[in-house]
Amino acid sequence: MNRTIITLVGKDHVGIIAAVCNYLAENNINILDIAQTTVQEYINMMMIVDIEGYGKSFGDLCHGLGEVGESVGCSIKAQHEDIFDKMHRI
Amino acid sequence: MIGFNEVLETNAMISQEKLDVRTITMGISLLDCCDSDLSRMNRRIYEKITRLAGDIVSVGDEIGLEYGVPVVNKRVSVTPVALIGGSACRTQEDFVEIARTLDSAAEDIGINFIGGYSALVQKHMTRADRLLMMSVPKALSCTERVCSSVCVGSTRVGINMDAVRMMGDIIRETSAMTADRQSLGCAKLVVLCNPPDDNPFVAGAFHGVTEGDAVINVGVSGPGVVKTAVSKVRGESFEVLCETVKKTAFKVTRVGQLVAKEASRRLNVPFGIVDLSLAPTPAVGDSIADILHEMGLEKAGAPGTTAALAILNDQVKKGGVMASSYVGGLSGAFIPVSEDSSMIDAVVSGALTLEKLEAMTCVCSVGLDMIAVPGDTCAETLAGIVVDEMAIGMVNQKTTAVRIIPVAGMKEGDTAEFGGLLGSAPVMKVNGFGCADFVNRGGRIPAPIHSFKN
Repeated sequence: MNRTIITLVGKDHVGIIAAVCNYLAENNINILDIAQTTVQEYINMMMIVDIEGYGKSFGDLCHGLGEVGESVGCSIKAQHEDIFDKMHRI
Repeated sequence: MIGFNEVLETNAMISQEKLDVRTITMGISLLDCCDSDLSRMNRRIYEKITRLAGDIVSVGDEIGLEYGVPVVNKRVSVTPVALIGGSACRTQEDFVEIARTLDSAAEDIGINFIGGYSALVQKHMTRADRLLMMSVPKALSCTERVCSSVCVGSTRVGINMDAVRMMGDIIRETSAMTADRQSLGCAKLVVLCNPPDDNPFVAGAFHGVTEGDAVINVGVSGPGVVKTAVSKVRGESFEVLCETVKKTAFKVTRVGQLVAKEASRRLNVPFGIVDLSLAPTPAVGDSIADILHEMGLEKAGAPGTTAALAILNDQVKKGGVMASSYVGGLSGAFIPVSEDSSMIDAVVSGALTLEKLEAMTCVCSVGLDMIAVPGDTCAETLAGIVVDEMAIGMVNQKTTAVRIIPVAGMKEGDTAEFGGLLGSAPVMKVNGFGCADFVNRGGRIPAPIHSFKN
């Protein structure tokens, strides 16, 4: 298990989550958890994913998600889970 | 499992409040590079630095990418050069050759500063110490990345006044030799009392002789994060204020610990310490003075400033100590004037004076840092400012430092522009009364009575 947090923020419209999920499926990345909120017309989404089966580098993942983000007009970021775990858990 | 709000909080710290890892610094021992032949020694120094720290920039960037937190600087500190140059260096120019070697090694591995062009002369000077100190103006004017520090005092042995007096002249000469760059050389020169062996922050970083072959030390930062946290408890009691700072420092330090352990693993170099310092940058929102303002002061320098800084410094340590397995370095709040936009503002508006800054250094982690003074400030006055700061460090058993820049050709009220992380500094008023007969006495100031603990 190699858990990574994906966060997305941007103006909401049809197909944003679908685009991200398609990219993850194409790259053999398993989604473990999804949470999202929409405030006014802005979407804020967080996913916990397992990148164990992803064959490429972390930089490639960031780049790929960046391209998906551009295509749907949102900002998408991937980070290893450790930074959140270390900061919020003793 | 991590919650949505925790993820949002961390990412807001990074993107809006400028949380970053300020520096990954690799300390490298050069003791095994000693040689009686200067060119052979220079080759060994270059080879060792580039071999051990060759990947420090790429590893720092990789870690930054994977955790989504900027790793702003990657740096190297080395054994104080005066300790290794003794048998090879017969002239000042020989020492300058070592500075050039350090500079080219730093350039080739892609780092912006390398610390350790240093001498430890708190008690007496060897011939090598003296040569290195005399070579500092030339070394800092003909290199870009080399930083120099000279330790002239400690609680244990007192203050070497001969060295303090020499530093007055050396600071002036460094200023003159870099006059075309607003005396930038002085921004890379720091005079220290009780320096730590494992400080990751330049210009005072050097790799102490008690350290191993190589070590990874990390400096975290996050004044913006602390300021935001403090802004949420406006009007609350000191108990609430202190708890807030402590909890925030804990979170910030945990990121530093994570990055330090990861850098150590990837570079295959042991982890040393995390330095808990709150280090500002000239960027808006990355300011220590803003935290003081948020605590309830109209401007940094107003009555109450020393107490506010004392609280901040102490709570940062209390929160940070539990977050890291090894804490060291300077660990506290930095108050450099030129590198903190709201400190500059406080000076310009007349709220903050040199004397108040000196008082603040009694309770913060370092000392008079990045302070521009008129270019005609004499060497004796500079030595007087230095020895005052050293006395504070010696008596209070803490690190103190002076990084003062007499800016050639400038007078009170002018502004010196250093650029980048070093920022810009308003030229401050210096007390014009003389101290020459005092600083010219020579010899040593004995260690204070409370140093005798055996």
